[in-house]
Amino acid sequence: MVVEILNDGGYRSDGRRQYELRDITIELSQQGTADGSATLNHGLTQVLVSVFGPREAKMRSQTMHDRANINVEVNVLPFSTGERRKRSRADRRILELASTIKATFEPVVQTALYPRSQIDIYVQVLQQDGGLLQACINATTLALAAAGIPLLDFVCAVSGGVHAAAPLLDLTTLEENDLPHATVAVMPRTRRVTLVTLETRLHVDRFAEIFQLACDAGQVIHKEMKRALRERTTALVDALGSGLGRPTGNDMVDRDMIMEET
Amino acid sequence: MASTSISKAERSYIQTSLQGSPPLRADGRSLLDFRTVLLETGVAPLANGSAKLNIGKSPHEGGGGTEVLAAVKLEVEDVEHGEGVDGGRIVCSVLCSPSAYPHLSSNALDELQYDLTTLLHQTLAHPSLHPPNLGILPHKKAWLLSLDAAVLTDAGNVVDALFMAARAALWDTKVPRTRAVQYRARRAAPATGHEGADMDVDPDQDQEARSGFDTRDMVRTAADFELPDYWDEGEVLGGRRNWPVAVTLNIIPPLHFLDATPPEEASTSLRLILAFSFPSNSPSSLQAMRLLGPAELALPQIKSLLADGERHAQELFAALEAKLQDEDVRRNVKARTRFAVR
Repeated sequence: MVVEILNDGGYRSDGRRQYELRDITIELSQQGTADGSATLNHGLTQVLVSVFGPREAKMRSQTMHDRANINVEVNVLPFSTGERRKRSRADRRILELASTIKATFEPVVQTALYPRSQIDIYVQVLQQDGGLLQACINATTLALAAAGIPLLDFVCAVSGGVHAAAPLLDLTTLEENDLPHATVAVMPRTRRVTLVTLETRLHVDRFAEIFQLACDAGQVIHKEMKRALRERTTALVDALGSGLGRPTGNDMVDRDMIMEET
Repeated sequence: MASTSISKAERSYIQTSLQGSPPLRADGRSLLDFRTVLLETGVAPLANGSAKLNIGKSPHEGGGGTEVLAAVKLEVEDVEHGEGVDGGRIVCSVLCSPSAYPHLSSNALDELQYDLTTLLHQTLAHPSLHPPNLGILPHKKAWLLSLDAAVLTDAGNVVDALFMAARAALWDTKVPRTRAVQYRARRAAPATGHEGADMDVDPDQDQEARSGFDTRDMVRTAADFELPDYWDEGEVLGGRRNWPVAVTLNIIPPLHFLDATPPEEASTSLRLILAFSFPSNSPSSLQAMRLLGPAELALPQIKSLLADGERHAQELFAALEAKLQDEDVRRNVKARTRFAVR
């Protein structure tokens, strides 16, 4: 049974149009004792990222005198793909993924503010359906923001591929197996690109198209991420406010008194 | 298991409060109270059965607690040439996420993972609990059941959580139905058939005479199997009521308490883990027992703890059963009625 990547009506195998992104679901609830955590879904790809830090480094030898050390560990659950595969923590693909994420966030996190500390980023891949690097990067941005670690900007990543000269965005596993594809991560405010990876062969002209499209798609993802973070922060601020107790009417409230000049 | 570091003063404070009358715990529970347990089955759609369990999630911000995600995957194994065992086999493994144990080094994490894996595997892969429907073709093909449990966060009592999640995932597992298939070459019509009255007595004649619809004996001689098209994902694992539940009794002589938080775990020097199985027609059986910690117990104490442990396990089992039935209803019956309405 041959599945059409892009049929004549302009629809892909999962019913999306050419430039349509999958459903994005963002959950920023707290996980354990992590300083910040985020669960992100791109369609059926689900990734959970927990951030600890900045905190004292577990291994002193890895610290740097003038900035924080970013440590990324990726854990892929064996039942995340259709076929069960138990990957050891030192699996080469996983280490490559971790070092890619680290390289993406090195210039974005303001590490100079925290010398001799460590920021730990733990990525759990719960379900995979294509676009893994993109999901990991987006979830890491959210987790870092939720942890309150200063960033220069968001990092929004999206994957793109080409099918018979037609560019497609946000690929599923089916599409990734068949098409040459690239992942691009952009910083939406400054429009700077912090990551481009391409592991297959792609014509230079097609690549330019994909690149441009991915930068635009990054803006869309940025909007979603900002909305989710704003919701969460608003909820936290409200909780803070209600905890202090709103002063009612004539109650004398202990406030900072401004001393009048006598 | 891994515990937070705790000062002597804090340790003594917790022990004294537990031994007081009435016994006091930091969150106001009694000695035998469990925290809120949240369970959801069918969370990993790519797996044959899955469950997510959370003990002690705080209701307001929705975070914290011990969270375990367990999933079962079934794969076909060759008995003759591969590692398969006639009748199927079960392999369990536990993965500890580094975010659950942020203070542990990578080696310590591996050791903890190995300890929990051994405990889970030795208990669940035991022949006394082996489900009857894991074989496909006798002496040829069988299912390999892989149970993977991932500890996402740990706020105490991880062993109970692991066993409960494993039980729920195994309860939720659907084994795909298989049908034995045999290919038989078409035999040419015997050339001498029309000639005379004396027919050669062909040893294969008996086989020919039997109707092609009779498939009773096919399983023994079948060479392969196929998956027939069915409206559901398969049949449930046989004997799924027998999977054990575990209770961890934290012991500060002379009393014991259940469901410890990390500071409480760090304050107890003795822990008894008991896994009980409650089959429907037989008496309950003790499937696993581990005594952990640097203290010691007298034999009569162990006997009374076993009796207490069985009672606690019984209650836990009843509660878990009720919840699993609920989940069945939520996912199957309600889905069916909703579909029928449409």
